[in-house]
Amino acid sequence: MNDVAVKPDTQEIVVDEVFPHRPETIWKTLTSGALMARWMMEPNGFEPVAGKDFTFQTRPAGEWDGTIRCRVLEAIPNERLVYAWTGGHDGNDGYGSRLDTLVTWTLSPVSDGTRLRLVHSGFVLPRNDTAYRNMSEGWKKVVRNLGDAVEGQG
Amino acid sequence: MTEATPIDAVMRALADPTRRAVFERVAGSEEISVVELTRGSGVTQGAISQHLKALKQAGLVAERPEGRKVYYRAKPEGLAPLVDWMSHYGVFWRERFASLRSLLKEIDP
Repeated sequence: MNDVAVKPDTQEIVVDEVFPHRPETIWKTLTSGALMARWMMEPNGFEPVAGKDFTFQTRPAGEWDGTIRCRVLEAIPNERLVYAWTGGHDGNDGYGSRLDTLVTWTLSPVSDGTRLRLVHSGFVLPRNDTAYRNMSEGWKKVVRNLGDAVEGQG
Repeated sequence: MTEATPIDAVMRALADPTRRAVFERVAGSEEISVVELTRGSGVTQGAISQHLKALKQAGLVAERPEGRKVYYRAKPEGLAPLVDWMSHYGVFWRERFASLRSLLKEIDP
């Protein structure tokens, strides 16, 4: 496997949980527009077909209109769904800045259901700042708690 | 990059573990005095004051003098530059997983 090399300046978010449902059921929630709208966001033009472009509408920031532009890169029913997730604008910092990422969903059957793993990869962190990388779990907690407060004002 | 941007200032202020701990304690209470912050911290009152000064310069805390005491409170809006894409999506996906769990329970009981 050559494709597992991680670029040193990018980071990923991983959420990995077991659900007491069959992969087929979970696949439906990941690929039906009506169901996606109920737990994630409503997609425009989504189809689980490689090469298909679709969008999500989110909160705008600065010169960015809030549109997340996506393209399906891989769709293996009940197993794996990969799409590009891009948006933002060079004129923004933090939320709303240029975003060029990848969302990968992996479903694997386990004895009591299905393991669903989300990897959202390709976040570029502020460069030349090791302090950012060295921040501990305690720091993340602060951002999480206070991030909500900040979000509420936006 | 010679000019310090606000995000750099905030990150630098919070990169120090002791200062970060001071900030978390301030953030965890409505208002707190230097004396209270020093108690049980293992560092001197002078050191705490220095950390508070740095946090104030970074826009993370505000002070209110009352008699001979000075009270500090957190300014969460000072963290706004740090609510970046990654922390945004960290919260976003965790919340979405919780919504997905409820939806699945409903459509496949």
